[in-house]
Amino acid sequence: MKMTKKLLALFLSATLALSLAACGSTDSGDVSSETKTEASGEVSEPVVNDEGYSIATDLTTDEIELTYFHFDSEITVEYLAKKFMELYPNITVKTEYCAVSDSNTTLLNLVNNGQTPDCFMFSDADFALSNYLLYDISEFWKNDPDAQNVATTINDLGIGCYGTEQRYAAPMKFFPGIVYLDLNVLETLNIEAPRQDWTWEEMTQLIKDATDLTATPAYYGLGAYNRLDSLYGIAASQDIQGEFGFDGKSFDLGVWAVGEQEFADLKLNGYVAPETETQKMEDWLGDWEGWFGNSNRVAVFTEAYWTYMNVWGTDAYAEAGMDIVPYVIPAVDEVEGLHNSIATIDMGGVSSGTEYPREAYELLKFMGWGVDGWKTKLEVFSDPTITNAAGVAMKHDSMPAPITMDEEIWAGYRALYPTDEEHGKYWDAYFESCMQPIPFGWMSIAGYWNFCDQYFNSIGIHGLVDSGTAKAADYAEEATEQANYYHAEAMMDYFGIDINAAE
Amino acid sequence: MSKEKKVKKPRISAGKLARREAMAGYLFVLPWMIGVVIFLLRPLFTSFQFSLNNIRITPKGRMFNFVGYQNYTQIWLEDPEFPVELMGYMWSTLLSVPVIVVFALIIAMLLNGKIHMKGFFRLIFFLPVIIVSGPVMNMLVADGAATIPSMDIQAISTALDQFLPHSLVESISELFNNMIMILWYSGVQILIFLSALQKIDGSLYEAAKIDGGSGWECFWKITLPTIKPMVLLNAVYTVIFLSNHGNNAIIGMIQNSMFSGTKEKGYGYAAAMAWIYSLVVTLIVLLFAFLLAGRKDIYERQVIKVKRAKKKEIQMVKKIERRGKANAKKIQKARLRKKYRSYDKNRED
Repeated sequence: MKMTKKLLALFLSATLALSLAACGSTDSGDVSSETKTEASGEVSEPVVNDEGYSIATDLTTDEIELTYFHFDSEITVEYLAKKFMELYPNITVKTEYCAVSDSNTTLLNLVNNGQTPDCFMFSDADFALSNYLLYDISEFWKNDPDAQNVATTINDLGIGCYGTEQRYAAPMKFFPGIVYLDLNVLETLNIEAPRQDWTWEEMTQLIKDATDLTATPAYYGLGAYNRLDSLYGIAASQDIQGEFGFDGKSFDLGVWAVGEQEFADLKLNGYVAPETETQKMEDWLGDWEGWFGNSNRVAVFTEAYWTYMNVWGTDAYAEAGMDIVPYVIPAVDEVEGLHNSIATIDMGGVSSGTEYPREAYELLKFMGWGVDGWKTKLEVFSDPTITNAAGVAMKHDSMPAPITMDEEIWAGYRALYPTDEEHGKYWDAYFESCMQPIPFGWMSIAGYWNFCDQYFNSIGIHGLVDSGTAKAADYAEEATEQANYYHAEAMMDYFGIDINAAE
Repeated sequence: MSKEKKVKKPRISAGKLARREAMAGYLFVLPWMIGVVIFLLRPLFTSFQFSLNNIRITPKGRMFNFVGYQNYTQIWLEDPEFPVELMGYMWSTLLSVPVIVVFALIIAMLLNGKIHMKGFFRLIFFLPVIIVSGPVMNMLVADGAATIPSMDIQAISTALDQFLPHSLVESISELFNNMIMILWYSGVQILIFLSALQKIDGSLYEAAKIDGGSGWECFWKITLPTIKPMVLLNAVYTVIFLSNHGNNAIIGMIQNSMFSGTKEKGYGYAAAMAWIYSLVVTLIVLLFAFLLAGRKDIYERQVIKVKRAKKKEIQMVKKIERRGKANAKKIQKARLRKKYRSYDKNRED
């Protein structure tokens, strides 16, 4: 009996020790010396299911596996991965989805465990750059015709280059900046719809004109999902290349302060509709969880791009009595032709630890800006039988816009939005004027998120200014100094560039 | 008389049977010891090592840059949020723990009484432990279910602000703001108290009742002294629970620092934060241990008093004996020298 106990104890100990040993990770190996660091640009053009594709011919013919880490739609990415494997049968694509809120944590844990994906999306540039996750894809990008045909600001302003001569990141998902108007509310209030190429002043005037606090329930000029100061930062001048008045080298928060104060004044003077789950919302619509977006009492919305397709453009809202049309985010001054506007652009990159950077780049391109990838995405978005877990067609599941300028792709994409005589003209005008996007700072500027994390968000400027206890201009000088400090620190830390010395 | 030499006990080496038993014991505790080494001591050592470095996790491996105690000084001197959060955590824990423990004790006593559907009520009070976690808790808090709407917390905090430090008032307000949530945390403590209450010998109460003891007196003189070790256990458990809870802001700060892209932050900085935090948690646990473990109840105090009196009495007796013996010796010597004079005339020396 005792012998049995001893044997059992020994067995348990051995099992534990072995299982622990099995848990150990192995270090990631060095990057192969035979990896391709340039793209030849040569392609073959097979036809698959009556659709022409361009296949890069300089990719490996070995059987390899690539991993793509993302926070995109799982359904769409899986569909894309299958198509990619059809085009490149020797490459097996493994996709790993993670919600954006946990993506940094999960990605870094994967890296720590030696399971770094070959290419991935990231949620802020400082995270990816500070951990040296990104491979220099400059050579691939230069020889990639699809990369030369993306929205002009991507290459003109070096978005994804972070102030260097090299490219580290590329646009994966693009949600253009947008302002929505409810034409029914304007009609009720007897206000004429503004011109499509409106200015900032015309927008703020409309917000004021469309506010009627004497009505029951009251009419509000603005329903704000995005803060006006976020839009104003880019709209203020065509020389601005990023949020907080970033001109490519340094910040000037004096620009931001104007927009911040303007938005706060609108809020304080009652032009902005209450937010959900507030007492003000309860008092206004009698519903704590009410949303200004379906109140029929708000004229202008700074909602997200996807709100139309996810909400207002669905059958459920057809009878809601709203008549929503899109407008481009206006520039502060009259601009000849198109002007820059803020947009949500999620970026991605090739892992600095991948064994197959050339192949990983091709996969990343297929998932992001590539024309072939977009042909496949349009198949998904156009097919109502392809649905997400909730049974919703994929075009109603936060569908992004093409960052490519390819006309064929845009023709297919445009057909997904209203084309009727009354609304078609609004969408046509909008899509023509939204293609000079500038992403939010955390995606495009080194040190931006560190500044927000360490300084801007920690002192709660928005709350102070919105409540009227402080003026935005009082913070502009110190915030500018701080932003420039964090940018300079980041440039030195990530790239060894002393931007102060360069000046 | 010379002192007797201490006799050394002969050393008896353990027999075969004893050695076997000892070996079996070691084998049984071996998995636990391996677990401690691998899952406790090694991570502890590694995290301390991390805290002395600036670390970047790259696809080509971890990059360590030794910075000594810079992470610690950075936290105290340049991070404005962490010390403030830490102070808030300390106050809120010191205030919440007594509330939770006392509430748990009251509920446990009620559930231990003679009530109908006792099992159902026990289930009700334990239910939050199972369901109130993560997203469910966040949803309930977002819906305002964690507060008592009729309580005018603003008025309470305004009144307290006049004579208490602001940071303490903030913690008190937070306590009232999350009163329901805090009470949800008492499920496990109720169970511990219940098990302790059920082990109290009923004859003690019976005897007390016969002697005319009231319920109030029974609580203070029987119930509380008996379950006192459980009060300490529950206090420690509550401190640890509150310190590791998902809604704890400091845990969030440490996690954010781990994955922050800021030059100074990262795993090393987060490890330093975690060490400071664990030190503070340990101090709070020690404080409660000092307050609760060191306190003697009335009976223990009486026993100690009696023991001291007895000891004193024995010492006095010994002293008297010693003096008696010394005096006897003196008398003997004097007699031998014929110098002894007795005042007792009847006595002949």
